[in-house]
Amino acid sequence: MDTLLLARLQFAATASVHFLFVAVTLGLVTLLVGLQTAWVVTGNPRYERLTRFWGQLYVINYVLGIATGIVMEFQFGLNWSGLSRYVGNVFGAPLAIETLVAFFLESTFLGMWIFGWHRLRRGVHLALLYGVMLTAYASAFWIMVANSWLQNPVGYEVRDGVAHLTDFSALLSNPALWMALGHVVSAALLTGGLLMAAISAWHLSRRTPDHALFRTSLRLGLVTAALAISLVQGFGFAQFGPVGALQPTKFDGNPEADALIADWTARFGAGDYLPPVLANVGLGFMILIGFALGLLWLLVPLLWRDWIIRLRFPLWLIMLSLPLPFVALILGWIAREVGRQPWVAYGLLPVEQAVSPISPWLMATSLIGFTLLLGTLAVTNWVLLARHAARGAADPALGRPPAQPPADDDTRPEPAFA
Amino acid sequence: MEFAWYALLGLFFAGYLVLGGYDYGVGLLLARGTDPAYRRAALAAVGPFFLGNEVWLVAAVGILFGAFPMLEGELLAGSYPAVATALTGVILVTAGVQLRSRPDSGRARARWDRVIVVGSLLAALGWGVVLAGLLQGVPLGPDGHVAGVTHLFTPFAAATGLALVTLVAAHGATFLTLRMPAAEGDRLRPLARRLIASAIVAVTAATVVGLLSDRVRAAAQRPLVGVLLTVLLIGALLAARAALGRRRPGVAFTATAVALALPVLLVGATLWPYVLVSTIEPAASLTVTDAAASAATLRLLGWLAVPLLPALLGFQAMCWWIFRGRTDGRALVYW
Ligand code: HDD
Ligand code: HEM
Ligand code: HEM
Repeated sequence: MDTLLLARLQFAATASVHFLFVAVTLGLVTLLVGLQTAWVVTGNPRYERLTRFWGQLYVINYVLGIATGIVMEFQFGLNWSGLSRYVGNVFGAPLAIETLVAFFLESTFLGMWIFGWHRLRRGVHLALLYGVMLTAYASAFWIMVANSWLQNPVGYEVRDGVAHLTDFSALLSNPALWMALGHVVSAALLTGGLLMAAISAWHLSRRTPDHALFRTSLRLGLVTAALAISLVQGFGFAQFGPVGALQPTKFDGNPEADALIADWTARFGAGDYLPPVLANVGLGFMILIGFALGLLWLLVPLLWRDWIIRLRFPLWLIMLSLPLPFVALILGWIAREVGRQPWVAYGLLPVEQAVSPISPWLMATSLIGFTLLLGTLAVTNWVLLARHAARGAADPALGRPPAQPPADDDTRPEPAFA
Repeated sequence: MEFAWYALLGLFFAGYLVLGGYDYGVGLLLARGTDPAYRRAALAAVGPFFLGNEVWLVAAVGILFGAFPMLEGELLAGSYPAVATALTGVILVTAGVQLRSRPDSGRARARWDRVIVVGSLLAALGWGVVLAGLLQGVPLGPDGHVAGVTHLFTPFAAATGLALVTLVAAHGATFLTLRMPAAEGDRLRPLARRLIASAIVAVTAATVVGLLSDRVRAAAQRPLVGVLLTVLLIGALLAARAALGRRRPGVAFTATAVALALPVLLVGATLWPYVLVSTIEPAASLTVTDAAASAATLRLLGWLAVPLLPALLGFQAMCWWIFRGRTDGRALVYW
């Protein structure tokens, strides 16, 4: 067994699960902000019910984002101690900023938001959700700064074999950053929008009594998803330019790649400097999914006079397309991350130098243990999400007035003092 | 500059032990009795603070990575089993508390509650062993890497792990006497006092085992400070017990909070100026300065931290202020 391979597998597994959840977080919170703002501005109780229903799903989904995120954070130290040793001076900074600027505040705000219904003034309660959203985007930004630095190290100089920070602004103007950030954020919006549209479509296809409510969220979700897919396509194609220029070895064989490999061979010794062939297989498939989802625009005119609901089959199309963005998310990341092999930091730090010098047995135990743990939790979480989505918006626990006895979901009497 | 960041790292980790500590204490207490209404009420007492408590850990590790990259890798990888245990516990508690009330059936909720109990136990045990591992020194070789992980399995590490478990249990029970409705809080007082007594026994036992251990004696740079802080810790626990006896839960909670913060100060002060003391090669020991990031990085992070810290602490304080006082019929139940 090979410690390096096991560590890579573990990173791939944890990161994939993390991203499946945080993409939904990022997309849904944006829509929730819209819904709650509409509630506060118009005072229409339908928007309050929408906020509670989608907020409940958002909060359930959030749990696994935290659980997997914490494992991600610790993994750097546990499995990739060479990463902090050699490039921690530079790579650590955006990560530290992220935890302080983003996560710390995000969770603090979210706790107050969940428990602030019926207690805080409406404006303050809404401001908390804005805080959650802004910090969520801040976290996506800083994590992408960190990731883009691994893709294209800039703003450093190597002294005594260790990278030192020389120019922080170079990290922020990294050409590997901005198009990728736009692509990731719009992919998250697409995922959140399509999720909202698909769940609403399910209820509408079963002729829910809550027709007006799910009609609203179907429209919101579908329009968001359609706008987002165009952004995804735009930013996606825009990535080929910078990525191809910065990482000649990533996509196909070309003269620059050969020159670069000759240079690396001179500096780091002979080795296999091409990423595994399978790295790019997923990329084509993702682009295919991207074009397929572009067809969402064809459904938008059907919103006129609710043809989309009356015809019914568009509702099924939306439901069937729900897995697609999730598949594309993972494929895209695999292309980006496997495509920079064998480097952790492209052209600077090879993976085998970054992995922790620990026994393969320990690494294997960790890989199996955490994968089983997070995998089980992820499946449980999706089951709970599906059940709560199916239950409808009659009485979500989130924002339930304290005096009101819970409807059907809690058969035992509430404690008098709770 | 390094010292300021070291202090900040200590502040965030100690903050985590204090705040996450009562989450885990409340979690451990779910094992007691089978009354579902009581369990739900206990979680409602933690309610709005839960999400904000655990991020102190996330922030501490962020600071560890950003400001002490050299330490981050060696500390975490070098204490792999202990960190992995703690991490498993943290995840189980996070998922358990937030998801336990989502299923409908009482049976499913009871199963999740057992997950929370196990998670709380693992988290406290794991962090206890990590702290003990620092105090007893690590086999840090001249190549700068910690060799193997068997160095963790010592009587001192076990005793410290157990001591932290009893400490969080006592802290959690004290928190509940402060935060649950007065009648329920009163009912919990005898239990809290008993738990504090067992924490005193466990901390004393760990101290004795530590004093008898050659490795701990060799690693400690300032043994006197260590002993003094231990005495202070036991004093805080005695004060908490006495305050509970006089129906002063606020004072008691402050005292148990001090007791959970002190271990971090103890480890930092006893080893100073080192963070990792090598048991095999004295010259390989890592000082705080060696472990810190280079000046440019610390300066950058410093510019950020100065305006940010008041905001971070301010919003946490806002949460404590809004939800101060005992839970009552108007408190929202969500977990
Ligand atoms: C909903 C998800 C989704 C969809 C529909 C698409 N992508 Fe994508 N793509 C991602 C989600 C994603 C991603 C998971 O978010 C990645 C990984 C890293 C990144 O920047 O975005 C990604 C990476 C990624 C990369 C690799 C960048 C690198 O290697 O550094 C390229 C070139 C594209 N995308 C291009 C496209 C194009 C041309 C698309 C469609 C027309 C497309 N993507 C659809
Ligand atoms: C944005 C922040 C991210 C950072 C800083 C990051 C960093 C890393 C690091 C350090 C490794 C291990 C070293 C290596 O094998 O190259 C890695 C590998 C990997 N990551 Fe990421 N990652 C990020 C996001 C993601 C996401 C969201 C995914 C989702 C699918 C992902 C997928 C992978 C995969 C598949 C590997 C294994 C590649 C291989 O070893 O062949 N990464 N990443
Ligand atoms: C593009 C890739 C990533 C994005 C967009 C992203 C985004 C997020 C978001 C929005 C959250 C907060 C809420 C939630 O979990 O639902 C989160 C949680 C978290 N993420 Fe990521 N993340 C990414 C990759 C990573 C990586 C590579 C790490 C490792 C350092 C990481 C560490 C964490 C941590 C520690 C948390 C938990 C914070 C908490 O307790 O609230 N994330 N992530």
